[in-house]
Amino acid sequence: MTTESRPAATEVKPLTQKRKARRRSRRISPARHRLGLRTRLILTFALGAAMLSVILSVITFGLTRANLFDQREAAVIASANANALRLSEQLVVSSSPSTVEQAIQSQSTPEGTLPVLHFQGLWYAGNPVAFGERAIPTSLRDIVETGLPDKTRVSYRGTSYLVAGVPIPELGAEYFEGVSLRDVQRTLDGLTLALLVASALTTVGGGLVGLWASRRVFAPLLNVGRAAEAIAGGRLDTRLPVGGDPDLDLIAAPFNEMAQALEDRIERDARFASEVSHELRSPLMTLAATVEVLENTRDELPERSRTALGLLSADVDRLQQLVEDLLEISRFDVGAIKLNLEEVMAVEMVIQAVSVLGGGGVPVRYDPEVADTIVRVDKRRMGRVIANLLDNAERYAGGATSVTIDRLDGMLQIVVEDRGDGVTESDKGIIFDRFSRGGEGGNRSTDSGVGLGLALVDEHVRLHGGRVWVEDRLDGESGARFVVELPIVEPPKDESEVDIDLPI
Amino acid sequence: MGTRILTVEDDERIRTAVKMALEDEGWEVEEADNGEDALAAFTRHPADVVLIDIMLPGIDGFDVCRAIRRASDVPIVMVTARADTHDVVAGLEAGADDYLTKPFAPKELSARIRALLRRARSSEPGLTHLRFGDLEIIPDEGIVMRGGNEIHLTKTEFRLLVELASVPGRVFSREVLLERVWGYGYFGDGRLVDVHVRRLRMKVEADPANPRYVMTIRGLGYKLQP
Repeated sequence: MTTESRPAATEVKPLTQKRKARRRSRRISPARHRLGLRTRLILTFALGAAMLSVILSVITFGLTRANLFDQREAAVIASANANALRLSEQLVVSSSPSTVEQAIQSQSTPEGTLPVLHFQGLWYAGNPVAFGERAIPTSLRDIVETGLPDKTRVSYRGTSYLVAGVPIPELGAEYFEGVSLRDVQRTLDGLTLALLVASALTTVGGGLVGLWASRRVFAPLLNVGRAAEAIAGGRLDTRLPVGGDPDLDLIAAPFNEMAQALEDRIERDARFASEVSHELRSPLMTLAATVEVLENTRDELPERSRTALGLLSADVDRLQQLVEDLLEISRFDVGAIKLNLEEVMAVEMVIQAVSVLGGGGVPVRYDPEVADTIVRVDKRRMGRVIANLLDNAERYAGGATSVTIDRLDGMLQIVVEDRGDGVTESDKGIIFDRFSRGGEGGNRSTDSGVGLGLALVDEHVRLHGGRVWVEDRLDGESGARFVVELPIVEPPKDESEVDIDLPI
Repeated sequence: MGTRILTVEDDERIRTAVKMALEDEGWEVEEADNGEDALAAFTRHPADVVLIDIMLPGIDGFDVCRAIRRASDVPIVMVTARADTHDVVAGLEAGADDYLTKPFAPKELSARIRALLRRARSSEPGLTHLRFGDLEIIPDEGIVMRGGNEIHLTKTEFRLLVELASVPGRVFSREVLLERVWGYGYFGDGRLVDVHVRRLRMKVEADPANPRYVMTIRGLGYKLQP
């Protein structure tokens, strides 16, 4: 239920300390990131490595490729020039088509030299099927026909070729020579694959470095977290080591300052509570004793004085109770409670508490199977819990009708039932708050309670590792049912047959 | 001559008020406002019961308690500010028989004093002489002997031992012991029993760390092993 949807009546009730603190607390709103800091760090490293390796790969590839092509071009041009010269010497002697055919055929070499000759309007090729006149681009042919040597790269029937053209002015012919670039391409393909693999590995490597770096960076942050947890858990003297790393000291030093300030403040509060405690107890002691002296002479007092003494006496008691409760609550707030834990038989403790603190008269029922159940409690405080619940029933519901002890799911339940008007749904949530009273604020003029009873019940029970809540009676009749749930201590097996002397 | 109570308290108003209330209960009250005066008064004229506030100027309540305990087994009641501090256990360790927290009702104090002054008696009449191993108890004479030598116990320690010895082997819960030894009609503090058992063991056991007679039964209480 949100605060807005609560009925207006509950809005005016005093806020508890915790709620006030929550409302006052200021949070520095964090920058929103969908990914965690660690993931982002790893990704940054991986991306950096990827970019760097891609750039290096591109440069490597480009340089290698240019280099390979340059070498191949130089070789083709040199070979074409030499072959053109030899061909012109042969054809000056005889230029019959069959001689030309023979000469061209002889130019073919197993290394893949593919000669093509344009002579007297006819085309001759060393290997006309694989590489003939069609393979020579017109642009190259035009340039060579003007009498200039040139080279170009062509793709013919799915294969790349480097073609060099040399004019033979003595014969009015043009000589072309092609060489396949398939091996160069294969080398470049291999290189591409190698570079891709290298880039991928570098990227992964970058990510791993990022992971390692993030671990290094986060280790001190985790220490900060652990220290904060320790402080929250009550070990207020926890500090981070300072002086190791100047960058980390930027976090550690303010953290330690904060922890110190917190510790000082809690200590100051605790000291204040204990000083207040002492200062208030002394006058209360005097009051308690003098009231008792006056009470001893009650019968000798005139009527007016007797009434006054009655009021004084009742309010001294109330003041004592209030001081006790407030001090106890303040001890809870500064975490200064030290439980005085004893292992006791639950049934015995409850029976005693009810008969001694509850004035007797309230029946205590228990299942025989909880008879030997042991709980670890601070008896004085658990006695207060039971007394406060009985007192609450007395005050608001005409007295408790029964106290039941039961065992449920490994927990001990102490249930105090009454036959009052019950607790409304909206009150169920706030009845354990400080200074909250039954109904509309209770009737303060005749009510001698101070509204801290159930708040103390709640704090005490929680300190014992249990919980307390209020619900409707299970039999459907009007009335409330306060349930205190406490963890059970399993008894040692070998001592189960001892002779127990229960109190009467 | 009535029973005399020595109250040691530095706050004059409290001292006066408590004195008046105790006198109404029929006790004779002697006052001291510091530890030195209290010890001097006790040496001069030993009281029947001593009430000591722990917070005293000069030598503190614990030291006064220890000094009186060295000289006498008189019942001592400590007054502490809070029930959940170490003060309670420290006061009991120093030899106090019982404690109260401020503010207390003088009637409550009177009830405690009466319980402390009650004579030790065995709950089963006719047990005039009890013997367990080398331990010998004579309830009627208030004597305890181990190996033929008399052991000196305070009144409370003695009553605790006699109570445990009344039914050897039976487990007594702390509540039962509180009720029978300290006369507690209310939700008592188990530490009273625990500290007194510890003190008793120091005196009756050959090895207090491994008791032979006064045994702890976890979660239940104590028993005397016959």
